[in-house]
Amino acid sequence: MPEFDSKKVAQIHQHLHSHLPSDSALRVKALETLLVDKRLVDPRTIDAWVEAYSEEIGPKRGARVIARAWSDPDYKRRLMDNAPAAIDELGYLGTATAHLKVVENTDKIHNLVVCTLCSCYPFSILGIAPAWYKAAAYRSRVVRDPRGVLAEFGVSIEDETEVRVWDSTAELRYLVLPRRPPGTGHMNEEELAGLVTRNSMIGTDRELAGDAGSKI
Amino acid sequence: MDGIHDLGGKQGYGPIEVDEAEVPFHHDWEAREWGISRSARVPGINIDWWRHCRELIMPEDYLSRPYFDSWAQTDFATYINVGIISMQEVVSGKALPGQFNINQPPPVLTPQQAIQEDHDNATRFDSEIDTSPVFSIGQQVITSRHGHDCHTRLPQYVRGRCGTVHDYNGAHIFPDLSSLGEETYQHLYTIVFEGSELWPGSEGRNDKIYLDLWESYLVVK
Repeated sequence: MPEFDSKKVAQIHQHLHSHLPSDSALRVKALETLLVDKRLVDPRTIDAWVEAYSEEIGPKRGARVIARAWSDPDYKRRLMDNAPAAIDELGYLGTATAHLKVVENTDKIHNLVVCTLCSCYPFSILGIAPAWYKAAAYRSRVVRDPRGVLAEFGVSIEDETEVRVWDSTAELRYLVLPRRPPGTGHMNEEELAGLVTRNSMIGTDRELAGDAGSKI
Repeated sequence: MDGIHDLGGKQGYGPIEVDEAEVPFHHDWEAREWGISRSARVPGINIDWWRHCRELIMPEDYLSRPYFDSWAQTDFATYINVGIISMQEVVSGKALPGQFNINQPPPVLTPQQAIQEDHDNATRFDSEIDTSPVFSIGQQVITSRHGHDCHTRLPQYVRGRCGTVHDYNGAHIFPDLSSLGEETYQHLYTIVFEGSELWPGSEGRNDKIYLDLWESYLVVK
């Protein structure tokens, strides 16, 4: 059991600073070697998790949820009321989504998600977060200058549009429901899912194209 | 703690790498660390203590090392802290005789089993508590002016500021004490702040910042 002693852990980090190998790959390799030697981890289980998050669990799940919300008003209502239950209709409940909330973009509102304190992200529905989401530049600036950050992503926002930034400080996680692109009334759910970008579900993309090929 | 991790509103970190390739992992070692983090953890650990251990990384390492690298360092620290890994083993790079070891082989998962386990990992952090929430939706509140030396989820950029209760989310485990091993619950609110309440020069911009904050971070305005 941990002793929950901050000073002791701070000291350990100072020792690790001196004693760990010199680059990221070697440091992770050292950790894997020790945990495998000690029979805490089997490398095949690591492989399995990597494959799960490379193939099945990723932003294509989120895109399916968005496409269903666009196509089925009753589903959208359930998603806005109780997102964990609604995503689990598709079997997508999982790591970090038991307290998921969906925030909806409109012509007058744009939503943007961040975690300024660590890098909280709704894993089971969006997969592994992009590196920029976890980096200091995004985490520091998006709460202070969201319009500037959006411009950097090539998204221009009218002055009248309200920008809502959601800083994930608790165990709630946020998924942005982007606006359905015009001219897509004829599309089925699968085709609609192909229009949804990962960034649009984080909020760093806004105007989705109605005729694009698969983005994810 | 007022550590390097508390980045909201800090300046000088440069442009965002917006053109990054959309792949889950950019390097094999990132994928390995993700798999390690899913496969094993220190017995009795909780997410708040683990986050705090990550916050305790030396500032120069915190800022200069990639994200999953800092997860590896945090894992190292938590295993060393309970004696599962020793510093001698870190130095030698292999498990040494006489040190912590397990006789049973660890579980072997298939990708399909990992997907199922991910589904089963949908942990809830809320609980019923006896007290009623002090604040109601629409009410104005002021946040605490100060943090403290340990883990907290009240970022510096919203301390001592005026906000409005946007939503009530039930009672959630309180991270400041959970990170010390104490399981207590407090009412959790979503508080909305006007951008102009937080940032100089943002008057007239239609920006709103939402944070999920526990009851003891707040006082009545």
